[in-house]
Amino acid sequence: MREVRARLAATQIEYISGKVFFTTCSDLNTLKKLKSAERLFLLIKKQFPLTVFSASKGKISIISKIDMHSKSAYVEGKIFKELQKLINDDPGSWLNAISLWKSLLELDAKNEKLSQESSPPLKRKVEENEIIVAKKLKTEQMQELQENRECQLEKQTGEETLEQEDFITKREDFQEEEFQNDVEKAIVGHNQKDLTFRVSCRCSGAVGKTFTAQEVGRIIGIALMKQFGWKADLRNPNLEIFIHLNDIYSVVGIPVFRVPLANRAYIQTAGLRSTIAWAMASLAEIQAGALVLDPMCGLGTILLEAAKEWPDVYYVGADVSDSQLLGAHDNLKAAGLKDKIELLKASVIELPLPSESVDIIISDIPFGKKFKLEKDIKSILQEMERVLRVDGAIVLLLSEDHHRCLQDCEESGIPLNSKSSHIDEPGMKKCLNPEGENGISETASSSFQASNQEGLDRTSPFGSLVPVECYKVSLGKTDAFISKYRKSHSSGL
Amino acid sequence: MKLLTHNLLTSHVRGVGPRGFPLRLQATEVRINPVEFNPEFVARMIPKVEWAALLEAADTLHLVEVPKGPTEGYERDEQFLRKMHHVLLEVDVLEGTLQCPESGRLFPISRGIPNMLLNDEETET
Repeated sequence: MREVRARLAATQIEYISGKVFFTTCSDLNTLKKLKSAERLFLLIKKQFPLTVFSASKGKISIISKIDMHSKSAYVEGKIFKELQKLINDDPGSWLNAISLWKSLLELDAKNEKLSQESSPPLKRKVEENEIIVAKKLKTEQMQELQENRECQLEKQTGEETLEQEDFITKREDFQEEEFQNDVEKAIVGHNQKDLTFRVSCRCSGAVGKTFTAQEVGRIIGIALMKQFGWKADLRNPNLEIFIHLNDIYSVVGIPVFRVPLANRAYIQTAGLRSTIAWAMASLAEIQAGALVLDPMCGLGTILLEAAKEWPDVYYVGADVSDSQLLGAHDNLKAAGLKDKIELLKASVIELPLPSESVDIIISDIPFGKKFKLEKDIKSILQEMERVLRVDGAIVLLLSEDHHRCLQDCEESGIPLNSKSSHIDEPGMKKCLNPEGENGISETASSSFQASNQEGLDRTSPFGSLVPVECYKVSLGKTDAFISKYRKSHSSGL
Repeated sequence: MKLLTHNLLTSHVRGVGPRGFPLRLQATEVRINPVEFNPEFVARMIPKVEWAALLEAADTLHLVEVPKGPTEGYERDEQFLRKMHHVLLEVDVLEGTLQCPESGRLFPISRGIPNMLLNDEETET
């Protein structure tokens, strides 16, 4: 898990709000493979790109560039669970894949064809199906690849094993059609000889110091041209090759789709990054018939993602701002989800709902200087806790400051002499008092002393909320944390 | 605002507590939206329904054919589920008011969205 987290975190930072994405991190087979590939990468220490290239041998599996913002990229809990569920062939096919060097074109063409075929049978809602299909396709691919004669690849192009794993993407059906068309076009353009391509390179670390991205790109481009007789077309290539080299790994990939998958077709105006929204929703263990609340829904991104994925659920979004609600309303209409999601104009600190009425709360705690949340965080959490059913889950997106603050509180856990005795982390209360933005531990501990002496007896907002898991995610420019809590017992508020 | 939502909304005016439910509904504009019938979903919602509140609201909207309560084996009773589906999910109040039964405070509903915000004086905390 930690590995995956570290890996995802690492790659997130690097593949920032990308241009080309193609996903299916939702494909567990792929995910698993990615993990193992990552491990392989780590073994490689590169000094010079050339050494890298040759040393890689079979080790660098080129993975199609993962959409770091793809949905399940963040869903580690889920991955973990599903990994447990899955008993895949993996190691076998993986090793096979690694050890085979295929001709770039055949591989690619097959991939395109396969991904095209895979589009129709996609049942995007069911992960298992996707996995199974992915498996099948992969096996097919593997077999076909094995049949291919091994290419005599030069050292330079050694690692251009654009051994692409099959990707089944999670996309809307109509999006699928769009992409299908794209893919079809791409295939049509595919001819053994006529492939036009473009190489995009990103280099960092030691490799980056030795070569610039352009140089690497050029080297590879030339090699490709020599090897496969393709032509380079910078403006509108059939095939785009992405290469990313750094100290940890070398990755070469081919984008499958031209449009980022993070651009959801069903969301008109996105607030929160939709992949994070989806990830949060997945963590929340939404079950059919549940009541899910987003008390600071903004444009409703989280609810939209959740409703798309888990439709048999009753969603309620609340916000204090008219403009946000209007935006959300439009989003809902555009997505056709008006029936599933209800909107309220209400304040998160005064939710007009009975206690213990909500099964799940998912929220993006606004961070940023314009939200004055210092003292409100406590009220917010208190109110959320109040309306949450026992055993319900809360998934929050917290800024680094908030998160650090809360973590310090959890760790300190020194019982406070509080009148309303609670088995909890009273330290947290004080932590949330000071400047929410600057929740530095020093500040926290000092105010803890203060509040201890003051003997405040208000209950901690985390009275019965037990932290379950926490993931660091990248929002592009900043980092944030997705935290999940469960209500362990009635808070008696 | 659907009746399923109304069934949950409570008033948070200071001092009102549990008597802030149910909110009295007055509607000036109502629309019936066809919504895809999902029997499982409806069946799961049934146990959560506050029937008195629902019946009161349905009454003010002059809805007919509203079941008075869950019937035996309602999960398999499609007719029942369909009626509930209609009442809970297909009736949309676009304009109107909700009134706190205890304090009399009015919450407006506009464009289908009820405004439950309270002024500072009215809040409990």
